[in-house]
Amino acid sequence: MGYLLEMKKITKKFPGVTALKDIDFQLRPGEVHVLLGENGAGKSTLVKILSGVYEPTEGTIVINGKEYAKLTPKESIENKISIIYQEISLIDELSIGENIYVGKLPTKKLFNMTVVDYKQVEKNTRELLKKVGLNKEPSVLAKELSISEKQQVEIAKALSYNAKVIIMDEPTSSLTIEETKKLFEIIKQLKNEDVGIIYISHKLNEIKEIGDRVTVLKDGTYVGTRDVRDVEIEELVTMMVGRELKSKYMNVGHRQKGTKEVVFKVSNLTRADKRVRNVSFEVYKGEILGFAGLIGSGRTELMNAIFGADKIDSGEIRLFGEQLAIKSPYQAIKKGMALITENRRETGFFPNFEIWKNVSIEPLIKESKLGGIWGLLNRSKERDYAKKQKDLLNIKCSSIDQNITELSGGNQQKVIVGKWLAAESKLIIFDEPTKGIDIGAKSEIYNIMRELSDNGKAVIMVSSELPELLAVCDRIAVFREGELRTILTSDEATEEKILLAATSAK
Amino acid sequence: MGNKFNSIWQKYGTLGILILITVLLGILSPKYFLTPNNLVQVALQSSITILIACGEFFAILIAGIDLSIGSIVALTGMITAKMMAWGYSVPVAILVGGIMTGAILGAINGGLVNATALHPFIVTLGTQAIFRGITLIMSDARPVYGFPLEFKNAIAGWIWNIPIPVIIALAAALILSFVTDMTRLGRNIYALGGNSQAAWFSGINIKLHTLIVFIISGITAGIAGVVMTARLGAAEPLAGVGFETYAIASAIIGGASFFGGKGKILGVVMGGLIIGVINNGLNLLNVATYYQQIVMGALIIGAVTLDRFVSSRK
Repeated sequence: MGYLLEMKKITKKFPGVTALKDIDFQLRPGEVHVLLGENGAGKSTLVKILSGVYEPTEGTIVINGKEYAKLTPKESIENKISIIYQEISLIDELSIGENIYVGKLPTKKLFNMTVVDYKQVEKNTRELLKKVGLNKEPSVLAKELSISEKQQVEIAKALSYNAKVIIMDEPTSSLTIEETKKLFEIIKQLKNEDVGIIYISHKLNEIKEIGDRVTVLKDGTYVGTRDVRDVEIEELVTMMVGRELKSKYMNVGHRQKGTKEVVFKVSNLTRADKRVRNVSFEVYKGEILGFAGLIGSGRTELMNAIFGADKIDSGEIRLFGEQLAIKSPYQAIKKGMALITENRRETGFFPNFEIWKNVSIEPLIKESKLGGIWGLLNRSKERDYAKKQKDLLNIKCSSIDQNITELSGGNQQKVIVGKWLAAESKLIIFDEPTKGIDIGAKSEIYNIMRELSDNGKAVIMVSSELPELLAVCDRIAVFREGELRTILTSDEATEEKILLAATSAK
Repeated sequence: MGNKFNSIWQKYGTLGILILITVLLGILSPKYFLTPNNLVQVALQSSITILIACGEFFAILIAGIDLSIGSIVALTGMITAKMMAWGYSVPVAILVGGIMTGAILGAINGGLVNATALHPFIVTLGTQAIFRGITLIMSDARPVYGFPLEFKNAIAGWIWNIPIPVIIALAAALILSFVTDMTRLGRNIYALGGNSQAAWFSGINIKLHTLIVFIISGITAGIAGVVMTARLGAAEPLAGVGFETYAIASAIIGGASFFGGKGKILGVVMGGLIIGVINNGLNLLNVATYYQQIVMGALIIGAVTLDRFVSSRK
C-alpha cells in the first residue's frame, strides 16, 4: 500500500539539544496513526516539521513520491496537510463560515468590484458542517460555540482544503465523553474517505478505540511502531516510560478505612449567579473525594465559589469544624485552603517568574498581613521553599532559577502543586490536575494527593477522565447542570453509573 | 548560549545604550559634553523625568498606564503654590499640596479603574483632561509666583555640589527600587502584571494593588510638581504637558513591557538618563527643539525594536 506521507530519518537539533533523532514515520491513507509519548518526547516537534513550522536538521519527507528536505507552511498546505492544534485557533468575532474560508473567501463581481460571495460561503459551509455533523447555521459567531463545536469547525476547515492528512494534537483533552464519541464518529467517517490522521494523545484507552497503528517516541528517539490490535496497553506504557510502572499505571490503592470524621463540609451552597445550586457534601479524613460531570456542569464553578474567587449567594462552609465566611481567595488561603485551578496557563502560574518565585508566592501570601502587602521578602527562605518542593515533587529543571515557561506541562503543574504544599494548606482542591500532562507526572500527582489525604488533609479532585476518578478517588460526587446528583463510593461506582447520573434527567 | 546573551542583555542592555550614547556625544562634542558642569546639568534636567518615570513604571508593571501624570504635575504644583500664597508654611504646602494631593489624585485614578473596570488608558486619558481643567480653573489660566526663598532653597537648591532635585529623584528611585525588589507588595505587583488571573487565585487583592500602584504614580508626579514649581519659581497651569511621553519612554527603554510584569527601577532610571543625555547632547550640537522631538520618537521605537529583536533570538 502506498503511503500518504513518509518521514525518513528525521533529526531536529536545537541549540544545545537534539529534539528528534532518526525518526521514521509513515502514514497510510485511511488510517489513524497515533503518536504516543510523554511530554517532551518530541511529538509536537515532529508534527511541526510537517506543518512547516520547523525545518528538520537531517532527513527527508516523501509526499506523493516527491522528496523534500523541508516543508514550508505553504508547501504543507499545498500537499493537503492540515493541523488542528490543542488550543483552537478560530477567530471569535467571525462567523463559522468566515472562519472556515478565512484567507480564501470566494468572490464575485458586483458593479465591477470584487466582493465576497457570502451565498457561496454559506452553501459550502453548510455542506462541510453536515459532513462533520455540526448542526449550526454558518452565520453563527465562533464565540458562541462550545469547545467541541469549535473543534468540529476546525475539522470542517481542514476539509475545506481537501486535506488528505489531518493532524490532531490532543483533540479530546477538553472534550466530554459524549463529545469525544462524536469526534470519533467523524474520524471514522474521514477514514472511509481515505484521509490519513495523525493523532496525538496521552489517553491510552482512546488508542484502542480509535487507532490503527501507534508509534511511540521517547526523549526524541523512535521506540517502535505497532498495530493497535496486536498490542496491549501495558506494553505501550512500558515503551513510553522505558520502565515497568508498578502494577497498573494509575492504581494508587484505595484506603477507605471507614473513618467518618468530617474534615470539610459544605451545606446548601448556592452561587450568586445560580450556576451552582444547593450543593451539600462532606470530605472525610483520609479520603479523596472526586467530582465527575460533563464540562460546564458546574464543578469548577463550585470550587471557585468555595475558594472565594466567585460570589456565593447562600450556604455554609466548615473546615475542620470552623465555620468560614470567605469572600476572596486571600481569605481562603489564610484559612488554609488551596485550589489548583483547571487552566495552568490562564490561572495557574506567573510566566514572568522563575520557578522559585512561582513556588514562594503562596507561603508569602499566607504569612503576610494587610491583604498580602505587608512585609519584607526573605530571598533565602523563598529559595529554600522552592528547593524543598523541587526535590519533594521531583520537578525536572536545570535549576530553580529557570523560568517556568521553559518547563514541560507536567513539571509546570508540579511547580503549582509545590506552591500550595509550601503554603501547608489543610484543604486542597485539584481541578483537572492531570490535563495535558504525561503518565509519569500523572501518577506522581496521584501519589501526592494520596499522601496529603493520608496525612489528614481534605483532598478534592475534579476530573473529566473517568478511569482516573475511579482509580484515585474513594468517593465520587456526580454533577449535572449545577446540582450535585449523587455521591458514589468507589465500590459501587462504574463508568456507566457515573455517566448515567451525569447525563440523564432525573 | 542564546539564553545567556539574553539575560546579559536584559541586565545590562540599557546601561550599554547609555554608555554608547555618552561616548558618542563625548566624541561629537568633546569640549562641552563630558565636563563635570554639564554632566551635573544632565542629571538635573533628568531628575523630573526620572521621578515621574519611576511612578509610571508601576502603572506599566501591572500592564496598565498612567496618562494623567503630566496633569498631576501641574495640579500639585499649582496647589502647593496657592497654599504658600495663602500663608501656609513651606513644609505643609509641600506635604499637603504636593505629596498628599498627588496621592489623592492617584487614588482617584486607581479607584476609577477598579470601579469602572475600564482599561487605565481610558480612565487616565479622562483624568488627564479633568486634572488639567481643574488646574486651569484654580489658576484662572495664569501662573502663580512669588514664593518664600526657603522653598526654592529647600527644593531647587544645592547640597555641596549636587542639585537637590537630583537627590530627591535618586532617593525616590532608591525607595521604589526597595519596594519592588524587597517587599511583598513589590513581588505581588510583578505577579499581578505577569498574570492577573493567577494573581487573583493566588490570593492577591487585585483592586488593592491597583489602587496602591496608582497612588505611587500620583505621589511621584506630585513630588515632580513641587520640584518643577521650585525650579521655575512659578506654578504654570500648562506645566507638564506631554510628560507622560517621556515617562513612558523612560520605562520602556529601561526594560519595562506593556504586557506587564517586567523591568526594574534601575533600568527606568537609566532610561530617564538616556533621554536626558540625548536632549542635552542635541542642545549642545545645536539641534533645534523640533528636531529633538523626532529624534526622541525614533529612539523610543528603535530601543523597543532592538529589545524585541534581541529577546526573540532564543
